[in-house]
Amino acid sequence: MVDRSKRSRLMQQFIFVGPTSLFFFVIVLIPFFLGLYYSFTSWNGISQHTSWAGLRNYLHIFTKDPSFLNSFWFTAKFTLFGLVLTNLLGFTLAYVLTRKLFTRNVLRTVFFVPHVIGGLLLGFIWQFIFVRGFASLGAATGWSFFNLPWLGTESTAFWAVVIVFVWQNAGYLMVIYISAINNVPKGLLEASKVDGAGRLQSLMNVTIPLVMPAVTVCLFLSISWSFKVFDLNLALTKGGPFKATESVALNIYNEAYTISRFGMGSAKAIIFFIIVAVISMLQVRATKKREVEL
Amino acid sequence: MDTTAKKWNLPKLLVELLCILLALVFLVPFYFLLANSLKTYGAILSDSAALPAALQWSNYREAWNATGFPHAFVNSLVVTVVSNLLLAFLCSMCAYKMVRNNSLYNRILYVALVAAMVIPFQAIMIPLVQVVSGLGFMNSTAGLILAYLGFGAPMTVFLFHGFVKSVPIDLEEASKVDGTSPYGTFFRIVLPLMQPIIVTVIILNTLWIWNDYLMPSLILQDPALRTIPIAVYTFFGQYTKQWDLALPGLVLGITPVVIFFLAMQKYIIEGIAQGSVKG
Amino acid sequence: MMRRTSGWLLTAALLPALLLSGCGRSGGNEDGVTTVHIYQFKVEIAEALSAMKAEFEKEHPEIRLDIQTVGGGTDYGASLRAKFSSGDEPDIFTIGGNNERDMWLEYLEDLSGESWAGDVKPLAAEQMTVDGKLYGMPMNLEGYGFIYNKELFQQAGITEKPLTLSALREAAQKLQDAGITPFANGYQEWFVLGNHNVNVAFAQQPDPVAFIAGLTDGSKTFAADPVFDQWVDLLDLTVEYGNPNPLSTDYNTQVTMLASGEAAMMQQGNWTQGQLDGIDPDLNLGILPMPIDDTAEDNDKLYVGVPSNWVINKNSPVKEEAKVFLDWMVTSDTGKRYITKEFQFIPALDSIEGTEEDLGLLGAEVLAYTDKDQALSWNWSRLPNGMPNELSSSIQGYLGGKLTKEGMLKEFQKNWDNLSVQ
Repeated sequence: MVDRSKRSRLMQQFIFVGPTSLFFFVIVLIPFFLGLYYSFTSWNGISQHTSWAGLRNYLHIFTKDPSFLNSFWFTAKFTLFGLVLTNLLGFTLAYVLTRKLFTRNVLRTVFFVPHVIGGLLLGFIWQFIFVRGFASLGAATGWSFFNLPWLGTESTAFWAVVIVFVWQNAGYLMVIYISAINNVPKGLLEASKVDGAGRLQSLMNVTIPLVMPAVTVCLFLSISWSFKVFDLNLALTKGGPFKATESVALNIYNEAYTISRFGMGSAKAIIFFIIVAVISMLQVRATKKREVEL
Repeated sequence: MDTTAKKWNLPKLLVELLCILLALVFLVPFYFLLANSLKTYGAILSDSAALPAALQWSNYREAWNATGFPHAFVNSLVVTVVSNLLLAFLCSMCAYKMVRNNSLYNRILYVALVAAMVIPFQAIMIPLVQVVSGLGFMNSTAGLILAYLGFGAPMTVFLFHGFVKSVPIDLEEASKVDGTSPYGTFFRIVLPLMQPIIVTVIILNTLWIWNDYLMPSLILQDPALRTIPIAVYTFFGQYTKQWDLALPGLVLGITPVVIFFLAMQKYIIEGIAQGSVKG
Repeated sequence: MMRRTSGWLLTAALLPALLLSGCGRSGGNEDGVTTVHIYQFKVEIAEALSAMKAEFEKEHPEIRLDIQTVGGGTDYGASLRAKFSSGDEPDIFTIGGNNERDMWLEYLEDLSGESWAGDVKPLAAEQMTVDGKLYGMPMNLEGYGFIYNKELFQQAGITEKPLTLSALREAAQKLQDAGITPFANGYQEWFVLGNHNVNVAFAQQPDPVAFIAGLTDGSKTFAADPVFDQWVDLLDLTVEYGNPNPLSTDYNTQVTMLASGEAAMMQQGNWTQGQLDGIDPDLNLGILPMPIDDTAEDNDKLYVGVPSNWVINKNSPVKEEAKVFLDWMVTSDTGKRYITKEFQFIPALDSIEGTEEDLGLLGAEVLAYTDKDQALSWNWSRLPNGMPNELSSSIQGYLGGKLTKEGMLKEFQKNWDNLSVQ
């Protein structure tokens, strides 16, 4: 009896978790471990012959390559601003658009629709706007905002990438927040109204605590988008000017394909991965603890 | 009480106007996209902010022909639909089991999936191609779908995982008492409850797969298999970007997704409404 | 314990099924027709290339060409590597010279014995030659300098071509006085700075190859080099008399500024002809050299090189057919016609003639300079991989006021030391 139920549980695990595990192993993990192997070689990505490099790539990254650290710094800063602004805007839009506005449905679509243009093309269009569109607008309006060399200085280029990121993703987070806000039981809101709470108080005391699961999801989504940001920088600034907008992903790509040090690029990817894995492990542990306490 | 909310008042009108203003700002890139897609090449470069002087509908015709649009559309559709259905189906099962069965394997898998969400694709694309070709899947739609299943799994499982945690276990236990099998419980009780998140996941994955360029460019070589982004990218050269063809190509490419979203919007709201019954 | 291993068991169980269900690529040879797979990045010629393919197949019914063009401009190198990694190797592909030639050398077929090999212009042959053997067919020649608008020069009262740095400064001043922007600088683009602009300082060295070797072995430095010192003067001049915000001006904007008559000069090459014609086909244009000092005869030169080469994969089972195609392209009348008239390429072979009518004003001028032996070399393909991007980034730092001149040269050195380690 015990044996049978154990077997059936195994079978369930096999059927439910197996296929996804399989695809994940084959498509992500195996290439990842191949990459780990390459990170200890001096392979250039082309040759059929390669030589073992031991820890040389890792040493080189830490001693001779300031650009990698620099790209980490950009990515961290970008993640911070991108995360906060995207979520703030997304939540505000969701909060406003769950009220009974006349143009509510149209507005939801409009704010979401930037998310449908993907990758490089989006970068190309915005490059077009920053370079040519803003110049035309500046000439027409005389506002100095439009006449800034948007992609030409380090600080403005940083904000240009942030602006496009927020523009692209805020609407998506909005959709998630709308679904969470709609899920807040009406009864609770009415009860708080009866208690004499104002709109702001209801928001702070009822709505926000109840949408926290959605906040977690949205934070995670925006972190993973901003950590991996690649297409946007490549098309918009190519990481320039003076490396001010080079993300880690772009740095790794350049190392592997422009500089043709595939082994070195793999080593960078591994370092990046380890840092991220540690962060997410800590996060999982923290959530676990909270769940236990609850 | 609630009826007052439906009436017009000044603060609400102001909020509405503010939103509309912001929406217009959000639409500026689309103005550039549409206006310039109807200009001659010279006009795009010399006067990109203005409305087109004469509408060059021929741009669309040329882009349609040069991309082999109907063909590329079907390819994109097949890849997107099949990958989406499989991802939603397999990953919801996986996430459900991972939440309900807190074994060591499942916990390790969860951490691995979460960590994998931030691996930049570019960092492992060459080994990935080696694996896909080792399996004999190069240059086939099946290979591309396989790659999306693997790469989509982390994010998809993550989203489902977060949602399942909030699904109360009582219903499942009741159904178990009634003698329903674990599979029946999942498909008849849990899956319907997951509808809102399934909609979210499908939108997210559709947008990603529909617009993705790098993965199909690596896996598909046969021109007959190419998807819309690959077709549009042939307008971007080393120096010259054929904007007069690329922009209409881009408009053609995103139109199906916009229509998809507009059509889905009703459904999303419905899904959310059903979800809130549960709440 | 058991549960933990179940996932791995599953993987082991399903993997063979997955392996079996995969479908292989069909072979190259069907019904006595051999297929040659070609992989190239030049989107600009994709359409003409497929028209040419049709003509070739008509003349050679036993060979079928399968041409794949990779768009986007940025990902060709990555996807070519991926193609080789996957074992799905093309028979003919395109690569750059020097460093790229060396990286791919183990895959390259020796083409020294081909009938056309002797006709390749020396300047073009050199970048694909190792130990006297030729490993590729140069696709075309390209050249750059300051493209200028002759009418605007006349309007500003400039009667003579400025061939020295001082003369260029005078001309720029005259243009500015006449209300014309002298230079349109597209310094947002890394290749404008990191390939073309800084190449002036390498190409003006007495022996560029030795200079580059010296940088790597430490016997030369950027800071101590007189030519680099002079080159900065030219860079400064273009900015002093250039458009506002050069660092946020991209290639398209730069070309448009010249084509619309807003600016009188831009540092670009003959590849801009098509775009310029697209905006205003009646422009009267020429190319000026890029002088770095005041000796006219050293400076009256354009920078000419080969952007890309056709190469044959030596492991290809159909390399003889691939050779037939390359041979046909540069020896048959049809092939030659496509190169000059359809691709509008400046031919890299002496056996193909290019006229002004086919190549446009700019192409004809580059060809004339080349044939008069007044061409200096392209050196970015000799620098450590990735160096042009770093050079460009440091120059941007200098132009943006972030680095001093000395700081920029120091930055050059630091990046060189990082990147010359393979």
